[in-house]
Amino acid sequence: METGRMRASIKRPPTPDAEDEDQDREPTLQEIINIKLIESGEKERLKELLRERLTECGWKDEMKSLCRSFTRKKGRNNVTVDDLVHLITPKGRAAVPDSVKAELLQRIRSFLQSAAL
Amino acid sequence: MSAPDENNKSSHTQLASHFFSELLDSVIMDVASESHRIARLGLDRNLDDEEEELRLSAQARARLADPSNSEANSKYVVDIFGQTHPPVASEIFDCMNCGRSIVAGRFAPHLEKCMGKGRKARVKATRSSTAAAQNR
Repeated sequence: METGRMRASIKRPPTPDAEDEDQDREPTLQEIINIKLIESGEKERLKELLRERLTECGWKDEMKSLCRSFTRKKGRNNVTVDDLVHLITPKGRAAVPDSVKAELLQRIRSFLQSAAL
Repeated sequence: MSAPDENNKSSHTQLASHFFSELLDSVIMDVASESHRIARLGLDRNLDDEEEELRLSAQARARLADPSNSEANSKYVVDIFGQTHPPVASEIFDCMNCGRSIVAGRFAPHLEKCMGKGRKARVKATRSSTAAAQNR
């Protein structure tokens, strides 16, 4: 069905699908569980639980205090989210009380079992 | 336990750890974001108050060190409660030693003479309190 004149090709990057072979493979177990967690609402509930426990034990206050003193030093208009994330991530991960971690892990494991995976 | 169960269990543990870390990082991100917002919007009263205090105390120090602040000017200086003070305290009260009416601003020199602690102010031998002190 060509007309006399051929269109100049429009230069553009190849469509993603052609490159992304990964989309064709089976989702990992992790991905499947993630979807189940989200769809069932359990992921949100777990996050709320974690937030609540971390607030109760003073973890959140500790992190906010770190952010405050950093902000005081750096000047409040010079602070970026990135700064604060890098500041509190290592300390935040280390400061989670064992009981809180255990509780969350147990909840997650229960979910995994109940999801019959 | 049979082998498949054990495998299940360890993969469950691994998966649980993975999801816990994900949730924790998400909470950390939220806290950082919240703190950032508070910082940039100046919502942290304490932060502002501290900065304000540091600034004011630096100002006050500068003012004190400034030689151009003479006695005459100090009439118009306002203290932290917003009160001004006259350079010479003008309240009048009674000296507890001799019972005289004294202007507060002149009280120290008066006491010097009155209690015999300053120069040219000795010689009050008949006072019983002094006598008692000497006899002890």
